[in-house]
Amino acid sequence: MTIPLLPIYMHIPDGFLSVPVATVMYVITAIIIGAAVRQTNRHLKESTAPLMGVLAAFIFAAQMMNFPVAGGTSGHMLGGALAAILVGPWAAVLIMTTVIGVQALIFQDGGLAALGANIFNMGILTAFTGYAIYRTVVSVLRGTRASMLVGSFAAAWISVMLAALMTSAQLAISDTSPWSVVLPAMLGVHVLIGIGEGLITAGAVGLVLSARPDLLRSATSAVTQKLSSSGYSGESAS
Amino acid sequence: MTAFLPGERFHHGEGLLYRTDARVKLLVVVAFAFAVTAIPEGRWRAFVAFALFVAVAIAISRLPLWLVLRRSLLALPFVLAAVPLIFTRAGDTVATLPVLGWTISDTGLIAVASILLKSWLAVLMAVVLTSTTRPLDLIRALERLHVPRILASTVFFMYRYLFVIGGEGQRMMRARESRSALMPDVRGGGTIAWRARVLGTMVGTLFIHSFSRSERIYAAMLARGYDGTVRFIEESSLSRTDRILGAIAFIALGGLVLVARL
Repeated sequence: MTIPLLPIYMHIPDGFLSVPVATVMYVITAIIIGAAVRQTNRHLKESTAPLMGVLAAFIFAAQMMNFPVAGGTSGHMLGGALAAILVGPWAAVLIMTTVIGVQALIFQDGGLAALGANIFNMGILTAFTGYAIYRTVVSVLRGTRASMLVGSFAAAWISVMLAALMTSAQLAISDTSPWSVVLPAMLGVHVLIGIGEGLITAGAVGLVLSARPDLLRSATSAVTQKLSSSGYSGESAS
Repeated sequence: MTAFLPGERFHHGEGLLYRTDARVKLLVVVAFAFAVTAIPEGRWRAFVAFALFVAVAIAISRLPLWLVLRRSLLALPFVLAAVPLIFTRAGDTVATLPVLGWTISDTGLIAVASILLKSWLAVLMAVVLTSTTRPLDLIRALERLHVPRILASTVFFMYRYLFVIGGEGQRMMRARESRSALMPDVRGGGTIAWRARVLGTMVGTLFIHSFSRSERIYAAMLARGYDGTVRFIEESSLSRTDRILGAIAFIALGGLVLVARL
């Protein structure tokens, strides 16, 4: 039996958040998505639609690929930091919003009133913190291959921990789970899940770095140059 | 592990809810989720009233009851998060655990029961929505509710390619299993780090394939005259029945929220 670890702890269903918490998270999330829409429209132009959609399908598929851990359990990745490293934080926000929204709307992973909070925790927070950490590590270590791998690991691990922290905070403020219980439980579990997330993210970035380094040279500009200047590049990887 | 791609949620059938515009259904279900969230703890009469609303929705959906119940229970693995409240809420002690000595409080029990009922009721409505609405209609509803275009078209393309790319991921997983024969009673596989690296490589490969695919899709769209705007088929506006049904649902929800607050 495989037990997907992340959905159990991360996709908050309805009824677990209080009305104020759910509403405030909806508003914050809507504002940030609005900014992401403007940023992405400005940078990515007309090629955006298929690229973003296919990459959202990629994150959805990557989340389904599981990772045997121990004792019959398995983890799988969240992918927010990976998406941000690959395509930049703004596009990653839209990709993660799409993934998490479709999971709630069509597959009942997470509640509809809790959707704002879920998108914020698993999409927005992971994309921005993951991206910031990755860029910082890469620039401090002067952009070597090792720095990109270390940066990816750190970005993924820390972003998962922050998402767990934020989820705990929302449950605690909603008076659904007391701080003293939810915080150690969530962080304890995600210390380990985050390591899995970090290793997979670093592995994926390492592979892209070996096979198509052009896609990673500069996260957002790789996407824009690739698709909007040359249109179709004509090459196809295997 | 083969149960990998989520199955189709639409359940073929006929009835009023199948013909109702997806926008109306979506708005009602989201409003319902917020209304249920607003029920104060322990208002059992309010819970009964909301349950009646759900019962009416299930009845007019003509979905098999067992199907709705089964799907609603599958969607609730989060429940463990609420259980500690039984012990931690301050209140009169109802019982004490024999070994650990933890006390169960009456207010804790009420809180947990309320939270579980709320999420269950909300999930039931969401199941009715997705079982009576085709996914593409749901996605078009987003677009027609003025979700930003880039977001609506991203959802549209994602749904279009989800099964293509998911299928590729699935084949990679199967290939991994085929390469890694397991002997009975022997611990298989390498270290956690090694396993993660294998999966990381698979994810990276899937990304490159996805990226290349999006380039080919874009080229194919250009060849067919794509000019940067994704066009959706324009559909008729809300019918009379849609409006009446929507109005009834919203008035009923408003009434339920008032009753729950009294």
